[in-house]
Amino acid sequence: MSELMPLLEMRNITKRFPGVLANDNVSFDVLPGEVHTLLGENGAGKSTLMKILFGLYLPDEGEILLRGAPTQISSPISAIEQRVGMVHQHFMLVPTLTVAENVALGLSSNRGIRTDLDTVSKRIMDISEHYGLAVDPGVEIWKMSVGERQRVEIIKALYRDAELLVLDEPTAVLTPQEVDDLFVILRKMTSQGTGIVFISHKLHEVLELSDRITVLRNGRVSGATTPAETNRQQLAEMMVGREVKLAPDKPALDRGKVRLQLNNVHVLGDRDTMAVNGVDLAVHAGEIVGIAGISGNGQRELAETIAGLRPAEAGSSVSIDGVDISRANPAQTRRAGLSYVAEERMKDGAVGEFDISENLLLINHGEKRFIRGGLFNFDAIKQHCQRLVENFNVKTPSLSTPISSLSGGNIQKVIMARELDSDPKVVLAAQPTRGVDIGAAEYIHSQLIEQRTRGCAILMISEDLDEILGLADRIAVMFEGQVVTIIDRPEATKEQLGLAMTGAL
Amino acid sequence: MKTNRSRRFLTLLTALLALSMFAAACGGSESATGTATSECGTDNAVVKGDKVTDLSVAVVAPSDSQDLAFTQSMIDSLTRLGIEPQVTDGTFQVEVAADAIRGYAEDGINVIIVHGTQYGGSLAEIAPDFPETSFIWGTATSTQGIANIFAYYPEAQQGGYVNGWIASELTGGGAIGVVGPVEAGDAVAYINGFKAGAEANGVSNVAVTYTGSFSDVALATEAAEALVTVGVEALTGTSQSAVGAVNVADENGIPWFGTQSNQEAWSTDQVVASQVYHWEVILDDMFEMIEEGTLGGEAMSLTLENGGLLVEINGCFNLDSDIESGAQDIIKKIIAGDINPPA
Amino acid sequence: MSEFFTLSVLIATFASAVRLAVPYLLAALGETIGQRSGVLNLGVDGVMLLSAFGAYYTVIETGSHLLGVGVGLLIGLFMGVVYAVVTVHLHAKQGISGIGIFLFGLGFSDLLSQELVGAIQPIKKLPSLAKLPFVGGIFEPLEDIKYIGELLFSHNLMTYVAFALVPIVTWMMNRTTFGLNIKAVGENPQAADSLGVSVERTRFFAILIGNTLAGLAGATLSLQLGVFQQNLTNGLGFIAVALVYFGAWRAKWVMAGAMLYGLVTATRLQWQARDIIPNSASDLAAMTPALITILALVLLAKRVRGPAALTKPFTRH
Repeated sequence: MSELMPLLEMRNITKRFPGVLANDNVSFDVLPGEVHTLLGENGAGKSTLMKILFGLYLPDEGEILLRGAPTQISSPISAIEQRVGMVHQHFMLVPTLTVAENVALGLSSNRGIRTDLDTVSKRIMDISEHYGLAVDPGVEIWKMSVGERQRVEIIKALYRDAELLVLDEPTAVLTPQEVDDLFVILRKMTSQGTGIVFISHKLHEVLELSDRITVLRNGRVSGATTPAETNRQQLAEMMVGREVKLAPDKPALDRGKVRLQLNNVHVLGDRDTMAVNGVDLAVHAGEIVGIAGISGNGQRELAETIAGLRPAEAGSSVSIDGVDISRANPAQTRRAGLSYVAEERMKDGAVGEFDISENLLLINHGEKRFIRGGLFNFDAIKQHCQRLVENFNVKTPSLSTPISSLSGGNIQKVIMARELDSDPKVVLAAQPTRGVDIGAAEYIHSQLIEQRTRGCAILMISEDLDEILGLADRIAVMFEGQVVTIIDRPEATKEQLGLAMTGAL
Repeated sequence: MKTNRSRRFLTLLTALLALSMFAAACGGSESATGTATSECGTDNAVVKGDKVTDLSVAVVAPSDSQDLAFTQSMIDSLTRLGIEPQVTDGTFQVEVAADAIRGYAEDGINVIIVHGTQYGGSLAEIAPDFPETSFIWGTATSTQGIANIFAYYPEAQQGGYVNGWIASELTGGGAIGVVGPVEAGDAVAYINGFKAGAEANGVSNVAVTYTGSFSDVALATEAAEALVTVGVEALTGTSQSAVGAVNVADENGIPWFGTQSNQEAWSTDQVVASQVYHWEVILDDMFEMIEEGTLGGEAMSLTLENGGLLVEINGCFNLDSDIESGAQDIIKKIIAGDINPPA
Repeated sequence: MSEFFTLSVLIATFASAVRLAVPYLLAALGETIGQRSGVLNLGVDGVMLLSAFGAYYTVIETGSHLLGVGVGLLIGLFMGVVYAVVTVHLHAKQGISGIGIFLFGLGFSDLLSQELVGAIQPIKKLPSLAKLPFVGGIFEPLEDIKYIGELLFSHNLMTYVAFALVPIVTWMMNRTTFGLNIKAVGENPQAADSLGVSVERTRFFAILIGNTLAGLAGATLSLQLGVFQQNLTNGLGFIAVALVYFGAWRAKWVMAGAMLYGLVTATRLQWQARDIIPNSASDLAAMTPALITILALVLLAKRVRGPAALTKPFTRH
């Protein structure tokens, strides 16, 4: 009997925001020991539902039952006390604090008013050993890669003995091996009776991991199914509400001359160790080279160096069409023909408080065509921005909407519109579709392919192997700051790439 | 015109007479033009005089009305003329002062006393907008060529010379310290006069420190502390921040010489003498001219001779009577032009 | 120049530097705590003025320095409650609220001073350790030790309190749960909130402590100078805020900044008194302490980014 009692029941939840019905009569439950996936595009209402579960919002209607008993979850503290854990999509970590300090935050200490970081560190080590989550409790978060940060988030929840764990897009930043490892961890947790709410866009993962799948669209449940009864195509269409093309069409092309040339590139990382340790790589016109690798193996530093944001060590050479940019600043790299789609789009790609027009003009507002008599020519600017927004299919109420109020996919489209409009020679795209929904990802991929057709050289860094395999002509795998192998797409397999990413090849 | 002048002269004479009689009666010490000696144990409350004019008067001043220094010297002077002005004090920010000046002018005040050199720039913009209003501005030696501005200036080096001479008598040639604020205006005149007076009487080391601030008491305090380590045997200083230095003098038993207002209240034991600004002497003239329709155009100064500067000696200090009469001789020489203290 | 480099003059200069530095140190330590929690308080100077007057007036009325310091502290605490409610609970803009507190403190302390005290009258300064009632005898032999006594034991009690607060604040920030919470809400309040740390409560108490220290700074200033007058602080509170930035939000660097400022100021006053710096250069001399302090801290202090959520009100969304 007790086995049948759901760990969590959310009944007929309705949540309204001004002008938006975020959750419309949504019911959702999780049994002990199961993975119940919540699937849906950005804005479908998944996050709202989970914020209600975590006490960040109160529902307007409906009720929540934990272990069969109706309950009120009025704050994160009460969620944690009721053993509900959450790994947020946007990491809830304090960058300047260490792993142990982040984990200890909000917990009472055994040592009175003093923190007890030794005990906390010890338990973190135990947990990370038990589940195979390698983290150093003494390292500050800001020095960590995105993937490492996520492990800390999971540890935070595990540390609090979560019985019900919500994971919001946890695999978006992980390598296949890491995803496999994570799934091992999650299965280990479910085998001990933990219920898991899994939120993901990656349909094959959803099919692999889930016991049940609930799909949300426009705030409503649009389907409930199990992996046995469905497939990727069907799930995608349930999410989007129309037919979608999952694999991008890529015309066959002969690659042209070398456009981006990296020779013997060395770059110091934040911890003053050599993060990029002798990279040689050439990207030709008309090809997409994908850089695969576990986050924290030098990809971020390499990208920042190419973009002129991080100095390369002496002896390194980076050039575009023969022009050396190894010591260039961002403006100079742009003049050399580089467009950069940054990994952290809200940090390096867009200015959150700026509106869409302002973000579209960030890199070229000084151009003659936008200036008249020393002042901005707002007609020309509006025309230009209107064209970009239409061409790139950005969904926004107006050009003067602050970019931070758009969804991840639309923000990325604005950035892509800005970066690709200048007819670049080289496009450097880091994690171009991370956290972006299927429809937008499909569109962004088609834009990169269009640039490839145009004769642009594209270097795409991604931790999403499906993306790499779907788009790249050649795949370079980075491990510990070096390119360990370069494989032509037709010869590449997931297993082979996975092994290379862990240095085993 | 003539009658007015003579009336003023009479008033002045009476005031001086009353003062000296007061001093003589209470302190029992000798007194002459340019000095007065208080009786120890009485407070130096300023006595309100008969009202000399029906003009409405306002004052805008940079420090507190009760700072026992620059601002208070003006307020006290108006009290002696029986005038209760409207006051905006503490406007160390020039923009705030400018607002206040303009505000008074718009309210139709007849005479606005703009008590701060630093307000000159703002005043030059404001005064032409209110040709019916008379502005009295100081310390300044020039009216900036504007018809409705009177300028006033203390020949502070005169009293400074007297203070310096007395100080040198007390130290017998020993070092003397000066805590100055910003190297400008009457502060410089006072300090230069003081230095000259002391040096003329055999003091070789008059150590002068300008703190760079009129109002920073902490700086004035530490400047005085530093001078104490140099071994000074007398201290003087000017501006409202000087109170910090007086405290140091008091603690270390070092005689203090004040200026601008009578500073006996700060240290009954150690204040020897204060050069006090009696602005009423020239204000009275200015008010008369204003009543007659001349709203400005003249610069007037306070001197020992016209009674605008008065060296007030602290009765509690028990200054040697020889020194006191010596000081009176110095004053006479200054008035006679035999001594010309450098400004 | 040579006479400056004698032991007794150097010690006197050091003592002067300490007296100058202590109000900055107290105020800047308080501001450090507030800013680490994400709240900028530009009202420090105003709080200091109110406390400076409160302490001064209390000593005039009661003659007790202890009561004076206590009143200064309570005024700081009270202003802290006001500022915390306004900025944390009512989500007012911190910059303008702080300026409001400053202007209120500037005006109200002056008004009270004119109404209650009138003409400036000096009071007894804070006594040195050896002159403390009851326990002074313990310190008397220490103060009498040649040089060492003046160097280390001749200061008033608040000096020792201020310097003792440096390791205490460091310890609080790095070793206590409260300190951890402060840093967390100053960096990423959403994260702290998601773990059940109350952003509002943490900031509230951080502001309270910060303002209380500003109150102590004001009380120390007026009682150390033995006087109160209009705008006694002369912008000291604003320099304290700057010291926090240039001290990279670390108590020890803030102390280094305050001491450096004191030392350079005391040295320049000594050099002016000894005519090593001529009067013609007095304007330049007056600027040097601030310049040197800022320059040194910029060059020496480890460059650390400020709290990420500084000046940002927190609301759940």
